Amino acid sequence: MNDSPPNSGEAVQTNGHDDPSWFEKPGNINKMIVSLVVVCVLLVLADFFYTNPHPHFPAWENVIGFQAWFGFIAFVVVVFLGRLLRIFVSRPEDYYDR
Amino acid sequence: MIDNIPPGLIMILGALILPFLAQRTQAIAVLVLSLLSLFLFCLTGETSFGQMELFGATLEVVRIDATSRIFGIVFHIAAIVSAIYALHVRDTRQHVSGIVYAGAAIGACCAGDLLTLFVYWELTALSSVFLIWASDNERSYRAGMRYLIIQVTSGVLLLSGAILRFVETGSLEFTKMAVQGEPLSASAWLILFAFGIKCAFPLLHNWLQDSYPKATVTGSVFLSAFTTKLAVYSLIRGFAGFEPLIWVGCMMTLFPIVFAVIENDLRRVLAYSLNNQLGFMVVGIGIGSELAINGTIAHAFCHIIYKSLLFMSMGAVLYRVGTVKATELGGLHKSMPWTTTFCIIGAAAISGFPLLSGFISKSMIISAAAEEHQFITWFILLIASAGVMEHSGIKIPFFAFFAHDSGKRVKEAPTNMLVAMGIASFFCIGLGIAYPLLYRLLPNDVDYHPYTVTHVVTQLQLLLFAALAFVFLMKTGLYPSEQRATNLDTDWIYRRALPKAVVLCRAVIGTIDRFLRQGVMAMLRQITSCARTGFNEQGLLGRTWSTGTMTFWSTLLLAVCLVLYYLRS
Repeated sequence: MNDSPPNSGEAVQTNGHDDPSWFEKPGNINKMIVSLVVVCVLLVLADFFYTNPHPHFPAWENVIGFQAWFGFIAFVVVVFLGRLLRIFVSRPEDYYDR
Repeated sequence: MIDNIPPGLIMILGALILPFLAQRTQAIAVLVLSLLSLFLFCLTGETSFGQMELFGATLEVVRIDATSRIFGIVFHIAAIVSAIYALHVRDTRQHVSGIVYAGAAIGACCAGDLLTLFVYWELTALSSVFLIWASDNERSYRAGMRYLIIQVTSGVLLLSGAILRFVETGSLEFTKMAVQGEPLSASAWLILFAFGIKCAFPLLHNWLQDSYPKATVTGSVFLSAFTTKLAVYSLIRGFAGFEPLIWVGCMMTLFPIVFAVIENDLRRVLAYSLNNQLGFMVVGIGIGSELAINGTIAHAFCHIIYKSLLFMSMGAVLYRVGTVKATELGGLHKSMPWTTTFCIIGAAAISGFPLLSGFISKSMIISAAAEEHQFITWFILLIASAGVMEHSGIKIPFFAFFAHDSGKRVKEAPTNMLVAMGIASFFCIGLGIAYPLLYRLLPNDVDYHPYTVTHVVTQLQLLLFAALAFVFLMKTGLYPSEQRATNLDTDWIYRRALPKAVVLCRAVIGTIDRFLRQGVMAMLRQITSCARTGFNEQGLLGRTWSTGTMTFWSTLLLAVCLVLYYLRS
């Protein structure tokens, strides 16, 4: 949707394989994913070591890892709703210019 | 004397001298004026002045209370940060409109009556449109026109509401208009509608996503701060505790996150994200408890800063690369490491990671919903929080700076941009840690502690499992790929449907019109031809009759009269 002209015109196109950074090395990507999984597991385990002093909705909040699986499912649902929405609202980029 | 200057006025009047300065000094003058205005604003305590009579109504140009004060402060911070961000710009239009816009927003949040509010309200609309037009292309010109029409409509509704309210109550004072348990008056509905347009309520929202992404690099940073938060401020003042707003807010938190998933223009993603954040605030206003109002104000404060930080980082990308389309970006962390870092701080702040500003403000609204035992509201806000993580927490930084390497190699953003982003990042972190400083400014005296074990653990669970879901969807290929596309939203109604309907109506009316004309013309032709045959020299009525015939008919008429006369008597 944006047509602002490049203000500097300094973008240099390369093939993108010149110097893989730390974030681009497959080994490091795997390390990041593994550490994310580990942290997630620890966070769910953390639920065993404290009690919520004032649960407002005990039926939900007292379930172990409630916000964990809630976050996961909500995220997936939102993304799939997005895919569904795309069927209805997606048009070619120059739709309004024609 | 010095504390009797209406807040923001220095910025508005200062704009008048800007065009006479050299191009280089204009940007610096904007910054100096903003700093001066903030200094004066800090000197002005909670006060009201500027009472005057106009057509029998009492106006109160300035009324500063705790709520006005905190909005005034954050508007000043936003103006200063935006001014630093725009230091490299050499465009008189943008500097003048930017500072008038900021000044008008500051003035509006200190207005004591509806008429003064209206004047500032329209001034924000008229000044800000130049930030869109300054992109200097056909699309931004048209988007600016649509923006202006909608904003001015909002102003006209506000003025009508104010006049009606004066007739109803005899006062123009800007006070609470929603009384618990009573239906809203006609004037209050008009004013609510005016606020609702500016606050991007569902179905009235699309001016936001339409115009902000088409503004200039620096213009969108200004725009993201003022208009919508001025509407939030006005709603707090006029409609706190008006329950339907809870549902309006819930809708606002939900639908934009779905649109944001498939949007390719990252500044448009930010506009949807802005809409979603406004939803949280509107929910808080609808709940209306002391905690909820505190939460709304705190959230507006933090939001203005992290949202402008995100717009600044995408602006820097647009400035260097020339596009912010996700399909054309990626791998920029190698060439713009500082921008990447600042963007990630903004993204983490908006998502609500502990130790950052979003965590200490958004949680107040969610807690307020829980404390009122509003289960559905609480549930929806949790979904929305996961949604924020999706579009702002992950999508913006990931597709711009990481993802697949686009191969684009650019320079890091200019120093002034980095400084502005650095200041905003400092505030994002500072507010997350030194949150009591912010809480102390809030109008209601509420004891709230964001950093409880429960809260930190559950919030981290929500966010990191959302991140895990992203990894899962990317690895399985289920995450929708970025596509170059235009996604229809409600602007389709007035950009496509209505114009088409008008063309169709014109065609239908034209056909009916042609049909009727032809029919009438044919009838007229028949009458004239009838007349022509009847009245010409050979016609029944037009030809010359002999005297005998006339005598015969006269006699006959007399005879008939006689007979009738006879019969009657």
